[in-house]
Order: sequence, then structure tokens, then C-alpha cells
Amino acid sequence: MRRRAAVASVIASAGVLIAGFQIGSAVTAARTPSTTGTGTAPGGSASNSGTSGGTSSGSTGTTGSSGSSGPAKDGTFTGATEQTPFGPMQVAAVISGGKITDVKVLQKTNQGGRSVQISNQADPMLRSEVLQAQSANVSMIGGATYTSEGYLMSLQAALDQAGFTG
Amino acid sequence: MTRATFETMGTVVSLEGAESPALLGAVRAVFDAADRRFSLYRPHSELRRIADGSLELLDSSAELREVYATALGWRGETGGAFTPHRPDGTVDLNGIVKAWAMAEAGRALGDGDWCLNVGGDVLVSGAAGSGAPWVVGIVDPADRTGLLTALPLVGGRRAAATSGSAERGDHIWTRGREAAEFVQVTVLADDIVTADVLATAIVSGGSTTLNDLTARFDVDVLTVARSGELRATPGIRELVTR
Amino acid sequence: MTIQNVSRPVLPQSSGNRPSPRARFRRRSAISDLLVVIAWVSGPVAASLYLASGGLADVKNVGSFLTALGIVTGLIGTDFILLMLVLAARVPMIDRAVGHDRAIGLHRQLGKPALYLILGHAVLLLAGYGASSGINPIAEIGPMLTLPDMITAVVGTALLIAVVVTSLVAVRRRFPYEFWHVIHLLSYAAVIFALPHQLSIGGTLAEGTVQRVYWIGLYVLAIGAIVIFRFAVPLFKSWAHDIRVQQVEWIAPDVASIHLTGRDLRALGAAGGEFLIWRFWTAGTWWHSHPISLSAVPTDHRARITVRVLGRGTRRLATVKPGTRVSFAGPYGIFTDAARTSPKLAIVAAGIGITPARALLEGSRLARGEATVLVRSSTDDETFLWSEMRKLAEARGAELFAMVGPRARNSWMSQQDAARGVTLRSVFPDLDRSDLYVCGPQRWAEAVVADARAAGLPEHQIHLESFEL
Repeated sequence: MRRRAAVASVIASAGVLIAGFQIGSAVTAARTPSTTGTGTAPGGSASNSGTSGGTSSGSTGTTGSSGSSGPAKDGTFTGATEQTPFGPMQVAAVISGGKITDVKVLQKTNQGGRSVQISNQADPMLRSEVLQAQSANVSMIGGATYTSEGYLMSLQAALDQAGFTG
Repeated sequence: MTRATFETMGTVVSLEGAESPALLGAVRAVFDAADRRFSLYRPHSELRRIADGSLELLDSSAELREVYATALGWRGETGGAFTPHRPDGTVDLNGIVKAWAMAEAGRALGDGDWCLNVGGDVLVSGAAGSGAPWVVGIVDPADRTGLLTALPLVGGRRAAATSGSAERGDHIWTRGREAAEFVQVTVLADDIVTADVLATAIVSGGSTTLNDLTARFDVDVLTVARSGELRATPGIRELVTR
Repeated sequence: MTIQNVSRPVLPQSSGNRPSPRARFRRRSAISDLLVVIAWVSGPVAASLYLASGGLADVKNVGSFLTALGIVTGLIGTDFILLMLVLAARVPMIDRAVGHDRAIGLHRQLGKPALYLILGHAVLLLAGYGASSGINPIAEIGPMLTLPDMITAVVGTALLIAVVVTSLVAVRRRFPYEFWHVIHLLSYAAVIFALPHQLSIGGTLAEGTVQRVYWIGLYVLAIGAIVIFRFAVPLFKSWAHDIRVQQVEWIAPDVASIHLTGRDLRALGAAGGEFLIWRFWTAGTWWHSHPISLSAVPTDHRARITVRVLGRGTRRLATVKPGTRVSFAGPYGIFTDAARTSPKLAIVAAGIGITPARALLEGSRLARGEATVLVRSSTDDETFLWSEMRKLAEARGAELFAMVGPRARNSWMSQQDAARGVTLRSVFPDLDRSDLYVCGPQRWAEAVVADARAAGLPEHQIHLESFEL
């Protein structure tokens, strides 16, 4: 009877492996040909050199070249929150057209728990960029505090004037 | 909508949307009371009497102590960049009182559509005409007759506070007393006190404080450096490219 | 000397409307084969978890190939370890199908391969990541350890190494059994420590996948089996049956029968020939457990085990006082009527092996003439329980042969009988249609089995219960 068991095992094993391979091929084919997300994926595998301090994502993370599971649908996929030396972190991957187009590292603030982009850094900006936003719909003028005297000459006074008559 | 203006606290208030005289009167009363209590320029204000030494802080009114405590809290949060103390030790709540009063006035105004501007700091509620958001024009510190940009207040951002080494003189005591790195800082936030305090703190503390506070607080910031160079958080970028 | 309190043989009806041994055997071997297939195929299934997640598509170069291999070895290695847990859990279905001995045998065989696979998993992944990112694998270790749950995984691996190393025969001999056993229990911790990193790192078992559900199911199965069958059930049964020592009776210079009392003890030995694992709660004996067969089919309130004193542990056993509490696990073993495959029954027993033989004879359903028994002893001293055997054989209509005398060279038989030309077939003429049950000292028993095999007896008709001397 042992022979029967051995033969059955071999056949079943082969079947299982073939089935796995087929499923895997189908999964891979369902993704668009340009699968990215290997190595550069947010799964802080050791391929990020140096002391990355555990900036790995939780569940959506992939390590190295093991790939992710399931076809990638478009959208933003957020991983589980991890505790890191920098505080609680969450990674969100933005998938568009089957590719990861953006990876955001979110950090929970200490105010009401709303997640903000950690890169809330104030970066240089060109005058031309901000000037383009001038609009005629300005209701109030913001600026460093003006005195009562200074008000008279200010843009705010002009607006207020228009407001009275408008 | 109705627009009204009045003087208080050494500056001018512009208010759009207070439809009834009673409401306007309530707002005026808030600012007058705050001025009477906190102004260091009035000889008999409570804060002045504390500065003179004729009134002990412990014997002061509950409201003053509450404002002071809040200011101390912010001192901690900003690592000392914002502080209610002058270099000589005098308690100066100027940096927070205006915003404090604005917040109280805002509560008096309620949930309707209105826009309150007190000397360049803006607090809004609801929408401007026909559902459009309130838009705040930011003055160009290099040329006060012109605007640098216009920022709509959307996404929960109800307050826009701007600090600078202004026409009024350097009333923001900069750390280390060297010339301030930023001549103007505008902060958009969900509440006016946060916006005002952080704007003051960033002017006082420079880019170190800027980077620290933008990382820890849910705010948007636009800074103008002495050189004219601009820096802005991503949120500002989004607002101007709409 | 007569032994009081021996159970009155309650002789079951001879095989009436039961399925034939052949039919029962076919059914049991089908179950046993199914279990074996499931066990072996679980490895490829583990590898398939990786295949099905599409991982192969990412294998493009040496680095990614090594990484893929690393993942697969981790999956299969862990699968083996979970399988080992199930094998050691004493699951009744497995015990009845293949016998506890065979299960433990497979458990032992899987130990080293499983460890190699796990170590290979670590090495291959380090090498793979190193090759992919151009970093020296040794330098990879630091960043690796900062990944979530990796430190616990490393601790688990260290425990696993300790467990396997101490289980190598050469090392195991140096420790007292109970010390080795305690270290072995660390394997539970090793398995649990390894789990978090499997679930938090990597794509194959990621959240939301079928693979994750299956994997967690495996863990639940393995740990559940251990908790239930190795701990909960024996604890409950011991408490329920409330067994205590009634008296110790010496039936030979170094053989003692321990008479036990308790509740509902009939349930313990329904099939004669099974063994239980006993623990006697006195200061000097509580940390040892002993596998001992019942030497008589128990009644509701009485049971009996017979031990041969071979060392300190068994000597202490034989000196326990009446009233001592006794806990147990079991019954286990397929040295029973249930394992029958053929119409006839042939029993060969020697030394302490007579205890399960006696229970087997007593507990089996037998027609007159169905069974033949051979009892073997080197000297007259070793003939304890023989008088009981004689009585039983007479009552059951079984033929009983006694073979006394020093061993012939290269044989299990006595010199006298070997010279006379006695063979298994001459003792058991219907050998080919018999189940041969052999129980006795290990080397002797193995000699009998070798003889049986040489005589052409198929494997499934040979049943062995051997004792370390």
C-alpha cells in the first residue's frame, strides 16, 4: 500500500505545482505588461541601503522581487500603520494604469489624527507661480498688521470702499 | 453682503456678512473688551497693571490667566519661537490676543457666511457670493500696493494669518536678535489662533522653525524672505494652480 | 503465585456481523494512505502559494532567482515544521491509521531537512537581496533586522537550531531524557516567534490573499492539534478517570504489576494491546512519564500495568505507595485487534512483551482456533504472567507454545528448538493468512520480524511492539 501512497503523492504534488504555476501566470498576465514596483517598492526591504529605520509598509509592502499579490487596480492603496523611530507611519501607493505612479509616506499629526503628507516642507517657489493666482475675487487682503494710519493707504481700504458701494 | 469697518486695538477691522446691527455690535464689544483688558498701551488695562507691578498675575482675571496659559502652551509647542515674554521679561500677550478675540468674535458671528479681517489676519465662515470660496489676497511686502498672490480658503482652512517685520516695527522679538530671515509669513490653518501663533513663531525662529512646524502641524505656509525668495508648502502650490 | 484482582475476562463475541479483517484493513490503509499523501503534498502546496501569487514573473536574474528560492524554502521549511507538530500531537486519527510510532518516526526524519530549509531560507534571501542591490550580503543583515518582526524571527530560528541540535542522537544521549524534553518544547516558541514576520513581510502571504488564509489555517491546525490532543484531552481524561495506585505486586524479581483504581476505566483499554503514557505523582517520579501497556483488559474500577525494572526511573515506579495519584495520556498504539488484516492471528512474545500480548489475546474477538501464541523466555525466571496466558489461551481456544532456553546464535529461537528445525511456519502453519504480532525486547523482536519477512510475510501483516530491552 505504500507504493499507492507514493504514486498518489507524486501525482498530487505535480498537479499542485502546475496549478500554482497556472494561477501565477494568469495573475501576472492580468497586470499590465509594465509592472513596476520591484525594488523601489515601499516595502523597506534591505535593498534600501543604510539605516532606513524600518520605513517598511505593512501589508501592501513587497520585498525585493517577490512581487505583489493579485492584479493591481487603479487607486490609492494604504498599508497598515507602522511604528517607526519617526513616529507612526503609513505608506500609500498610488496605482494608475497598473503602475505605481506615486508613493506617499503619510504621518499622523499630533492634532486630531488627520494624516498629512510628511513632505509638508515649504519648498522654494517662483514669483511667477504665485502671481498667476491673482484674481478679481479677492474679498480681503492679508498682510502683516497695519496700523489705523497705514490702513488708509492700503488695498484693504480700497476693497472696503468697493464693498460699501457694491 | 454688508461690509462694515471699525477701529480697535490700534488697527482696523473689516467685516463682511454681519447682516444685523446687533451682530455687528456684538463683534465690536468683543474687541473692545479685549482691548481694555490686554492692551499695553492703555494705562489702566489689566495687562498694563501687571506689567507695572500693581497687579499680581495670580490676582488677575480668569480670562487673562487663560490667555496667558494658552500662550505658554504655544511657547512649548514652538520651542520658544513664540513666547508671551519680551526680552525684558514683560508679559506681552499681543501676539495672541488679537487672534483670541477674533476667535471669540467668530463664535459670536455663528455659522453663516462671513469674513472677518483684523489688521491683515482673516477668519472666514461659509462662502462668499454664490457659493464661491472666500479668497484672501496676500500683500507683496516689497510693494504694498500690489498683491503677491490670492489664496482661496478651502478644505477646512478657515484662517489666514500673516506676520512680518511690518510697518509697525519689529514687534516680533526675533531670537538672537539678528535680522529676521523672513520679512513676511502667511499661515493658513483651521483656526485663527494656530495660524497667528505659528506665523509669529516662524518669523521669530526662521527656517528651522518653519521646517519643524510644517512637519508637525497641519497648516500651509507661504514665506517671503528678505531676499525676496518665496517658499511654500505643497498645499499653497495646489491653491495657486487651481 | 496467583494474582488477585485480575480482570475477569469479559469475552467478546467472536466475529459475527463485523466486517472481515480484510475489509477493515482496506479501509484503514486507505485512510493511512490519504494522510500520507496529504502530509507529503503539503510541501508542494506551500511552494505553490508562491507560484500562485505570480512571483515567478519577477525572476529575471541571479539575484531575483536566489530571492525566489529563499521564499520557497521558507514556505516549505515552515510547512514541514507545522507537519512535525501535527505528527507529535498524538492525534487519534493519525494514531489509529498509522500508529503513534510511525508518526514519531516521520517526525524525527523531518527534523534536519526542516532546519536546513529554514537556514537556507535566511541565507538565500540575504544573498538574493545582496545580489539584486549590489550590497554585500553580510552588510544586509543590519537593515534586515530593522524590518518589522525580524528580531523575533531570528530568535525563533535560534530556538529551532537549539531544538534540532539537542535532538541529534549523539547529543541527545548526553542529557537525561526530561532535560532534553524541556528543550524540545521550545519548538513551540520557535514556531510562534516565526509567524509574525511571515505575515508582515513579503507579498506571498499579504493581507487579503487566499494564501494568508490558508497559512493561518495551517498554524491554527498545528497548534490546535497540540493544544487539544497533547494537553487538553489528557488533562481532562486524567481528571475524569481519577486514577490512583491501589497496590504494587512483584511477580518476578524485577517485574512488578501496579494495580490501579479509578472511574470508568473500561474506556481506557477497550482494545487490548494499546499503551498509555503514565505519570505518577510522587516527589521522586512526577517529572518522568512512561509508556506502559495495560497488562489486562480493565474493568470499570480496576486496571493493571506491569513494568520491568530497568533503571532508576522504573525502580522508583515500582515503589510508589498506594493512594498515589496517576495521570495519563492515551491510549495509543495499533498493536491491537483493530489493526488486523487477515483471518488468523499469530502472537510471539518475550520478556515484558508478554503484557501487550496478553491484553491483545484477552481483548480481541476470536473464534476458537483463530489464534496461536508463542511465548519465549531465556530462563525460567522470565515466565511471569505465563500462567495467566495459559488460562486465557484455554478460554479463547487458542494454541499456546512455550519456548524456553538460551538463545541460538543468529536466531531468536532457543538453541534446542533451532536445532530441532523449528521455524515460524512450523509453529504457525497458516502464517500466510495470519497477522503476526511480535512484542518483546528490541533486538530479539527485530530478529523475529526479519525472519517473518524472509518467510515472505507481507509488511502489512507484521505488527511490532518493541521495548528498549
